[in-house]
Amino acid sequence: MKVIRLSFLGMLAYLRRDMMLFAACLAPILVGFLFRFVIPLFEDVLTDWFHLPTIISPYYGLIDILFAMLSPAMFCFVSAMVTLEENDEKTAKYLFITPLTKLGYFVSRFGIPSIFALLVTVVLLPVFKLSPLSFSYIVLLAAGGTLQGIVIALLILTLSSNKLEGMAVTKLSTLIMFGAAIPFFIKDNAQYVLFPLPSFWIGKAVFESSPLYMFLAVLLLSIWILFLMKNFCKKNRGVY
Amino acid sequence: MIQVKNLSFSYTKQPFISDMSFSVSSGEIFGFLGPSGAGKSTLQKVLIGMLTTYQCSAIVNGVECKERTKNFYENIGVDFEFSTMYEKLTAKENLQFFSSLYEKKPRPIGELLEKVGLEHDADKRVSDYSKGMKARLNFIKALLHDPLLLCLDEPTSGLDPANSRMMKDMILEEKARGKTILLTTHNMQDAAELCDRVAFIVGGKICALDSPHNLIMSKGAATVTYTWMENEEHKASCPLNCLSADEQLKKLIAENRLQSIHSSEPTLNDIFMDITGRTLL
Repeated sequence: MKVIRLSFLGMLAYLRRDMMLFAACLAPILVGFLFRFVIPLFEDVLTDWFHLPTIISPYYGLIDILFAMLSPAMFCFVSAMVTLEENDEKTAKYLFITPLTKLGYFVSRFGIPSIFALLVTVVLLPVFKLSPLSFSYIVLLAAGGTLQGIVIALLILTLSSNKLEGMAVTKLSTLIMFGAAIPFFIKDNAQYVLFPLPSFWIGKAVFESSPLYMFLAVLLLSIWILFLMKNFCKKNRGVY
Repeated sequence: MIQVKNLSFSYTKQPFISDMSFSVSSGEIFGFLGPSGAGKSTLQKVLIGMLTTYQCSAIVNGVECKERTKNFYENIGVDFEFSTMYEKLTAKENLQFFSSLYEKKPRPIGELLEKVGLEHDADKRVSDYSKGMKARLNFIKALLHDPLLLCLDEPTSGLDPANSRMMKDMILEEKARGKTILLTTHNMQDAAELCDRVAFIVGGKICALDSPHNLIMSKGAATVTYTWMENEEHKASCPLNCLSADEQLKKLIAENRLQSIHSSEPTLNDIFMDITGRTLL
């Protein structure tokens, strides 16, 4: 465990030299402040201006979902970028033949950041949430968001072979988060077209206040992770 | 230190390494010589536990490679042909990070940097290093945890003659400290100078295995070539071990008529070509 911790700390030290990735780690706090303090202010201004009772507030639940997904998505994106860079620089290959081993390497690059993202979300979401979410809901959302972060990281690693490609794939893979918006905007059965997206079920769980949908989302996310892991191992046989 | 028995490995359905057997004793420098794609690097990957889907047996330091645990790597140091450093970190930061991954007390970083002439560049980012500097840094990274087995892949590749000499001296110094060294190369001079024994690898098979001296001697003695003038320049050769029977040469020596005389020993490359029908270069 000590060597895994050291490898994780080594990654953090490396991030200090990459301002883009370092900023990505701080994004959840900056965005949290924006969501919590600017959006309600904006809502007040807009409702006064248009003389309407609500404009943005019906979507506060959606904003909370996106915030729950943000920390894991950012942390896993950073881990995926570091992994791609370590693959480019062949340092990953070297780390596999140290006492860290291949398993320890992936635990330090994805396991620890995912757990960290889960904890950060559980801590930050109650501070920055806009809708009345219970603690159990917050934990479920954080868990769903964390699994989705792993899906995003695996998509980046599976579909790209270097950091440059990784940046492009990140933009595409984060789109899967926006399935959460569908239940808020499409009310009829047409919304089920996007049923393979786990974020759709997370959105539905919050929109309909039904935690059962969250379990469906976690099940779907697990299937996505297994499928992507299989492809990642197949594609990178001999690389990682 | 290393026992390999009937080792076979394949990336596809075609065998890539087939039926390889050899052993390496502690404190020995053992060279793998062969052209690109012969299977040298694959064999090294098997021995350092990177490829575990091989058949039969490959035991390193008493551990079957496919059953290695993290402790297996406490006593293995690998110097790949390419740089395996974090480019954005300094040399010192890289060495500190990698040495922290081992249980063993690391060798002094400053001392190792000084040995390869990088002491004044310790705080420079690796991205600012030249190819030769990176090669030297890579080499000392493999020594950090004082491993019993060193696997060196083309350690002198890309080095100028002075640094190449320094690197070879350091390899011999490590041998003197009791390390076992696996040297993968297609540089025959390096192999002849450094290795106690070499294995010629072609097409995933060992074609010959012996000390460089024995392999060279197996081709026969060196040849002596001499020239003399008789209206025009003439040239003749005879094996070194038959020199006393060469009447022509004896006569030329007695008459002081030799224009030139030199001996030429076969090189490892000659032996390699003889045995495999291929060139190392």
